[in-house]
Amino acid sequence: MAIRANPRLVEELEHYGAEDVAKCYHCGNCSAVCPFSREPFLFPRKSMRYLQMGLEEKLLGNLEPWLCYYCGECSEECPREAEPGETMMSMRRWLTSRYDFTGISKLFYRSWKAELAAILLVALLTGAGFLLFGFRWGGGHLGVYAGEGAFLTTGAVHVFDWILGCVLAAFLGINCARMWWFSIGKDRTLRIPPLAYLRQAFLLPVHFFTQKRYAECGKKRPWAIHLALMLSYTTMLVLIMFFLHAMHSERTVWAAHGFGYLATIGLLGTSIYALRGRIRKEETHYKHSHETDWIFLILLVFVAGTGILQNVLYRVFHLDVAANVVYVVHMMGVVPMLGLEVPFSKWAHLAYRPLAMYFSELQAEAIRERERAVAAAGAPLPA
Amino acid sequence: MGVPKKIGVYFCQKEAALPMPVDWDAVAEYARGLPGVAHVEVRSPRPAPDPEVLAHEIKKRDLKVVVVAGDSPGHFKPAFTRAVALAGGEPTEVRLASFRQHGAGADDGTERAKAVVACAVHGVPFGLAASPRPTAVNPATLVIGGGVAGIQAALEIADAGQKVYLVEKTGTIGGHMAMFDKTFPTLDCAACILTPKMVAVGQHEKIDLMTYAEVQDVAGEPGAYRVKVLKKARFVDPDACVACHACMEVCPVAVPSEFDGGITTRKAIYMPFPQAVPNAYLVDAAACTYILSGGKKCGACLRKCAKELIHFDDRDEVVEIEVGSIVVATGYDVFDARRIERYGYGVHPNVLTALEFERLTNASGPTGGAIVMKTLRRNKRTKQDEWVFDAEGPRPGSVAIVHCVGSRDKKYNPYCSRVCCMYSLKFAHLVKEKLPDAVCYEFYIDMRAFGKGYEEFFERIRLEEVFVVRGRSAKVVEKDGRMTIKGEDILKDRLVEFPVDMVLLSVGLEPACASDRLAGILGIDRDEDGWFRETDYNIDPTGTERGGIHVAGVCQGPKDIPDAVAQASAVAARVLKSVVSGRGQGSRASLTVEEIESRARALAGA
Repeated sequence: MAIRANPRLVEELEHYGAEDVAKCYHCGNCSAVCPFSREPFLFPRKSMRYLQMGLEEKLLGNLEPWLCYYCGECSEECPREAEPGETMMSMRRWLTSRYDFTGISKLFYRSWKAELAAILLVALLTGAGFLLFGFRWGGGHLGVYAGEGAFLTTGAVHVFDWILGCVLAAFLGINCARMWWFSIGKDRTLRIPPLAYLRQAFLLPVHFFTQKRYAECGKKRPWAIHLALMLSYTTMLVLIMFFLHAMHSERTVWAAHGFGYLATIGLLGTSIYALRGRIRKEETHYKHSHETDWIFLILLVFVAGTGILQNVLYRVFHLDVAANVVYVVHMMGVVPMLGLEVPFSKWAHLAYRPLAMYFSELQAEAIRERERAVAAAGAPLPA
Repeated sequence: MGVPKKIGVYFCQKEAALPMPVDWDAVAEYARGLPGVAHVEVRSPRPAPDPEVLAHEIKKRDLKVVVVAGDSPGHFKPAFTRAVALAGGEPTEVRLASFRQHGAGADDGTERAKAVVACAVHGVPFGLAASPRPTAVNPATLVIGGGVAGIQAALEIADAGQKVYLVEKTGTIGGHMAMFDKTFPTLDCAACILTPKMVAVGQHEKIDLMTYAEVQDVAGEPGAYRVKVLKKARFVDPDACVACHACMEVCPVAVPSEFDGGITTRKAIYMPFPQAVPNAYLVDAAACTYILSGGKKCGACLRKCAKELIHFDDRDEVVEIEVGSIVVATGYDVFDARRIERYGYGVHPNVLTALEFERLTNASGPTGGAIVMKTLRRNKRTKQDEWVFDAEGPRPGSVAIVHCVGSRDKKYNPYCSRVCCMYSLKFAHLVKEKLPDAVCYEFYIDMRAFGKGYEEFFERIRLEEVFVVRGRSAKVVEKDGRMTIKGEDILKDRLVEFPVDMVLLSVGLEPACASDRLAGILGIDRDEDGWFRETDYNIDPTGTERGGIHVAGVCQGPKDIPDAVAQASAVAARVLKSVVSGRGQGSRASLTVEEIESRARALAGA
């Protein structure tokens, strides 16, 4: 199979945050110190090679960036200070933009101004939409937060959430299918039996809910932070999609609200920790920040902060007008975050990471099988 | 000259290069005032010069000559040559003004850069216009450092009948080479080559050998230097000592032996090694019980010496000598392997540095040349267990050799130490020669076998069934009770993990620790890595900015024995040229920019 080299690939990746790829002289130090790197997926050195040589196709089908959790050991030990860890991060951004068929992701990653403008636009539209809805079809009275005659009825918001969720799932689903095609489907040399897909399917929830490979890193704190953030986010998502009535009810339903408060603490704590880390730049994985990292974190703090604020205003201070206003503002953060960040930007890795763990295990199995077959064919026949 | 030529001066900076300490705007301003200069432009690193755009500009401004100035302008020459050709000009009229090549690295870098640009504008080689004024020369020469380079330079000059003072910091001459077992790639016995030269130095009537001495101060002018040398007290008269060893046998103090790379001990009264020159004992004042106690304790050697040569009332003395030329050959220190924790040096007993292995495998070493692993032994005196080499100790079944330890690494030394690849291959050969059944792994990044017979030596190692792994090993760990070395084999696309009995760290070379002080004393410059800076890397690799002061050997930059010897001989020729002709070189720094410019103008007009 002929492989086309793209001499401008490094230049392209630079838009996604890659630095100094040319510095790498392939000593293999990074792959050997990496706690996640193991056969048949040795990274980051090989990915650096693909990049230097402009092997775009190879890189596109490469799942290794997703197997990297950026613990930073490779960058700390790199004798050339070529920042392999950050290069892997930029490859994840690039892959995200390539998996996305709409091209929106590419636009966002290459221009933070475009991303910010899109977020602001969607926020304004959302705000206008909710206000319009509230005054026109809702209770019409800004002074009622919940129950009879509420400004925003739970049922309507719930329907809106589900419509938004389905649209996002469709986008993300198509992108995930593209990821499968680039990494597995297109590669005719790999034979993966359909049953293997079923057999290994358990990997998806395992990696999603435990992030267990991250725990293999020498430092445990980044894993704990990452897991707390992810679980808080998922908890909140479940509460909103399935238990919105309980969340909106006039009295406090502790079975739902308890989880809600925990998730809020998790979201605010971890995202503020990450923001502080990125400002201080003491830990290797926080040293380099792409504009999208800042947007992502600020948006997260904004959404979690307004979310808890409207709750407190309503439940503690009984200020229904203020709670309604903050709720609309909250939604102005939620909709762009879910609508733009999930399918087109950093949030997408929530889906891609566990998928990559799953796909890579399938690949590894197929590679091992192929090697066994080659070894068997090459071995002398028994006399 | 007729109509003044229209000259364009372009300052070009390479991206991501370490800049020289030059104020570009000041130099550009100066260039504008030079005769014939019609256009001056300071370009930013990006975008790279595009010949077609440049050609358009050159044509528009009607430039006849283009001067490309910068730290390394040669990089941009092709683009400008093409641009001039496209503009219909004479492609040969592209001149370079290289700040790096002409030593604009010192504090007065801006002034030097101006002079370099002026010479290029006038079309006169910088070396010609800025050749220092000749001086009278005192025929005596001082050589600092008694390693192989210093010995070679001293012998060459002295053999020509000229006076040489050789100052050596330690108690003997010989330097690092005396410690080595074999040389690469010829596998000659290093001591067999060096010791006759050392003896020749010791016996030469024209060489005044001052060991255990340091240069303290240098005054005077090129051609007439007055040097103060601190001769530290040896406490034993080197001319009368017959090296009967009686004193050493009774000395109760044991300290790590410098000569054996610390793998054995020596006494407080010691001779660095049996073939030392001068072949005489000296006392280590920092370790001697008698000296440390102010004469109250010990004194065993004093009573034992039959010739009564030990004088504890010896004091350091300062002697002043007058010389015309100074040869700096102070060599190097090796990289401290403890700085890279993941290789476990100092943690695992059988992780050795290169110098330690040189001594271990040397026939005059502690095991008589047998390659053995360290064994744990109880020290009777200190009542502590310690790891020592015992000639009867277990032989290693597997040895890993790690290249580039502390070299080519931005965290330690960014440069290539140039000798490690070859001595590592030599180690692999010695291991296979002495222990044919041992497995030997060689971890390298790039194999730099660049000299005569070196590539062939590499081939030979492969035939000797050494496992050569391309990929720098990442770490040495303890696994299942065995020392294990990990790395990536980038050619096989495999992570490798070998259990090994011994790891040899090919540590790089570093400027000797005192070279900073010495540079200050001599008034010469050091480059960004700390090596002494030569006048011109290409065509004057032995001269320095200060007239009459020359550099030889590794102190100018990492090099192997043949190169160090060649450079030392070259220095000797330089010194002898000035002595024989009676005309030495002054310092270039004494020339002002105006002087150089007017000389260049005169030369161009002639």
